[in-house]
Amino acid sequence: MELATRLPGTDLGSPHGVTTQDKYVHELWTVSYLFSVPIGLLVLGLILWCVFRYRDKGDGSGGGPGGGRTPAQFQYHIPLEAAYTIIPLVIVAILFGFLYSAENHVDSISKTPAIKITVEGFQWGWRFDYPNGHKQVGTVANELDINSEQNLPVLVIPDNETVQLHVVSLDVVHTFYVPEFLFQRDLIPGIDNTFDINPTTPGIYPGQCNNICGEYHAYMRFLVDVMPPSEFNTWYSQQAPNSITTAGEPQS
Amino acid sequence: MTLLEERPQEHPEPSERALMEIIPGPRPHGLVKYITSTDHKQIGLNYLVTSFIGFLFAGLLAEGIRTQLIVPNNHFVTENVYNQLFTMHGTIMLFVFLGPFAFAGLGNYLVPLMIGAPDMAFPRFNSLSYWLYLGGFLLMSAGFLTNNGAANFGWFGYAPLTEAIHSPGPGADLWIIGVGLTGLSGIFTAVNIITTIFTLRAPGMVMFRMPIFVWNQMVTMFLLLLAFPVLTSAFALLWIDRHLGGHFFDQNDGGQPILWQNLFWFFGHPEVYILALPYFGIVTEVLATMSKKPVFGYKGMIGATLSIGALSMGVWAHHMYTTGAVLLPFFAAMSLLIAVPTGIKFFNWIGTMWRGTITLNTAVLFCLGFLVMFLFGGITGVILAQPVLDFQLHNTYFIVAHFHYVMFGGSAFAAFAGIYYWYPKMTGRLLSEKLGKLSFTVMFIGFNLCFFPQHDLGLRGMPRRIETYSAHMGWNFLNMLSSIGAYIAGVGVLITVCNLFVSYRKGEIAGDNPWDGQTLEWACSSPPPDHNFEALPPIRSERPLWDANHPDQLTKVGH
Amino acid sequence: MKVESRTILGASLFLAATGAVYWALVYKHGHQTEASGIAMLIFGFAAYGMLFGYLMLQYVRRQGHPRPEDSFDATMADGEGEIAYFPSASIWPAGLALGMILGGVGAVWGLWYVIIGGIIFFGAVLGWVIESDVPEDDQNLQAPH
Repeated sequence: MELATRLPGTDLGSPHGVTTQDKYVHELWTVSYLFSVPIGLLVLGLILWCVFRYRDKGDGSGGGPGGGRTPAQFQYHIPLEAAYTIIPLVIVAILFGFLYSAENHVDSISKTPAIKITVEGFQWGWRFDYPNGHKQVGTVANELDINSEQNLPVLVIPDNETVQLHVVSLDVVHTFYVPEFLFQRDLIPGIDNTFDINPTTPGIYPGQCNNICGEYHAYMRFLVDVMPPSEFNTWYSQQAPNSITTAGEPQS
Repeated sequence: MTLLEERPQEHPEPSERALMEIIPGPRPHGLVKYITSTDHKQIGLNYLVTSFIGFLFAGLLAEGIRTQLIVPNNHFVTENVYNQLFTMHGTIMLFVFLGPFAFAGLGNYLVPLMIGAPDMAFPRFNSLSYWLYLGGFLLMSAGFLTNNGAANFGWFGYAPLTEAIHSPGPGADLWIIGVGLTGLSGIFTAVNIITTIFTLRAPGMVMFRMPIFVWNQMVTMFLLLLAFPVLTSAFALLWIDRHLGGHFFDQNDGGQPILWQNLFWFFGHPEVYILALPYFGIVTEVLATMSKKPVFGYKGMIGATLSIGALSMGVWAHHMYTTGAVLLPFFAAMSLLIAVPTGIKFFNWIGTMWRGTITLNTAVLFCLGFLVMFLFGGITGVILAQPVLDFQLHNTYFIVAHFHYVMFGGSAFAAFAGIYYWYPKMTGRLLSEKLGKLSFTVMFIGFNLCFFPQHDLGLRGMPRRIETYSAHMGWNFLNMLSSIGAYIAGVGVLITVCNLFVSYRKGEIAGDNPWDGQTLEWACSSPPPDHNFEALPPIRSERPLWDANHPDQLTKVGH
Repeated sequence: MKVESRTILGASLFLAATGAVYWALVYKHGHQTEASGIAMLIFGFAAYGMLFGYLMLQYVRRQGHPRPEDSFDATMADGEGEIAYFPSASIWPAGLALGMILGGVGAVWGLWYVIIGGIIFFGAVLGWVIESDVPEDDQNLQAPH
């Protein structure tokens, strides 16, 4: 099984994922960059300017270590202080505006998803339940080598469709995390979590539990196989209702 | 309070400087002095030394973590031991080093000196706090000596992984009790320091003349007073679950695992500012003294501290964005707002240096390191405060990089600034500038080499707390860099440790006021005598000592 | 005491306001599991409120007699007199802590430690209380004269 090699590119920290939701993430990154880089550079510049311009060069005549002069003892500048209180407030308000709209898009749940799959996490493995009762299962017991992606459980989903995932934990807190979806959601006992994914690019993407869940946390991995809908329908029709496919074991 | 009321209200003015009488009698020495002392300076030193040992120990654990991750599929330690390493690294760094070093160590030593008090308000209570803290440190570390090892579920111990069925053995219990004891000790210290600040200030030392360090200390103590009882009660619930068959966090019997996350982070976020505010205070004091200027925007600085303190009590669930069970817009708005007072502080620090005469010694270098790295950590913090981006970055190495830029590059560098700045006051000798500057350079390079690549690792999807990783994920080179950086940073820390020892015997004699200090701690001898002051200058501004030493450059009062 | 008590009042009111807004939003969005957050914000408001109340009580009792540390032009001489009792050394805090730590160990390994810890704890409390009962003239620190 070949992994998609295109892990979330850094693209100056402004990544592209493989779902329709990634548009909003990318947009937020861009907005954050537009504000934070200039502000960061401004503050950094001011700090460095102070250090180089006002460092004690030891040529003054005043007292104190280094013999530097005693500078003017000013302490307040109300207009300036007001400015650097109000301007950041405005920036934060604008950022919140972008954030609020993006969040509603990413978090929205469709009433008519193409397929609903239940994702169950447990110590230590994953089970993906399809509507017809077919289950894709994999546990760390079959995962002999961290360098091998052979025996990982596979979540097969179609692209260009709304896939609704219902995530459930069977014991402790786990997290369903696929880096290339730019998304994760916790599996917490007692909390019902549902979210939509709209993949756009077929491929095999690595996923992993992202919340410390005990000894074999690092090995609790899975793969997401995004297929074109026709291919997915063929695969899905081949899976008998209530059958179980266990990664690393011959098909039963 | 009643004793204070007996003070005469009207009195002729005999002299500007007054003497304090010192209780006569023999003073214990050696081990007896260490155990029985109720002097705030001795207890402060005890705290400083103990917490620094905690720092070195937790740092050693961190080197173990980085050694395990240096190459993919590494087997330096087992999965279980790895989990213990990062759990205890986090726990000890936060509960033993970063918090107590500043609020209990420097707080104890400096707050009474800075406000002109003879001691803390409750000296024996103070001693009790220290011993509880030491006991907590020893108990939580004792987990390593038990059969199943120390706690291994991460420093925020999400239930139900912490329940007896998933984490059997005494390691987890020792963690609960140990952290609980340090928490209890923190509450006692908070009560003590708040009372000291409220009732033992020298005449004329009104609230708005206290140094920024004392203000920050006070706000920190109020946060602690609110946060730690919540933690302690969460621990009590967890202990009942583990030992008395409770089901508070057990979903199968009607409990709510997410309750733990709410309780823990309601403590945890104020805790983050408990770990940051005193260090802001250190940086403020060092920059003002070394620039030979008053703190720029003194009142704005206090306002910023107060607003950070207030806001930090309403942002706990930004650690829980991905749980899908919190109000995202509310917490996002509150978290973004914290950026504003933090920004004010940055501009005030710049204003303090502006047109000053900055002595570029080691203490200032560490402060500048703090400014640069905390700035970076602050900016990544604004990114992480946005739920949609947090969905991508939560619990990845991006977070690890972010909070190490804030906690290590920020707070710990400020702690080193504090060490270099106040060591002469505590020992009477200056630390070696040569070793200090070398230590700073090595630490700065090592730190950035260690943690800067981790931002990229997080963007490439590397989860935190994984014991090993596949070679096919594109994480190999960055992890190698990061581990090398961790070793370099470790060497930098060790240089300062050598400096502490060498200068203790051979350092240059400091004198009472080596930096032309502005606040009262420099008005007494180095180290200060019992009950601190033989004489106090009149307090007419927030820089009484500067005013006494520079009568031609008085601090303007009330702007 | 004015600045001190107002600071705490501010914190208390901030928590009350935050709690009210949060409560309204939580119930509007139906996040029932967040009752803990509301409870904690109310707890914070009440805790700080109590502190403010105590300080106000002190402030009212002292009306007309401002303390020298609250006076902008006090001199050191204004602070003359007894400040408080500052014992220079005591073994009891360490003993008390030992009792409490043993109690903690008992929470891990069993009842015996709690019993031993309890005995040490009460012994130390006794010692501490007796130690405090000394003539005031000998122990009270004199402020300047």
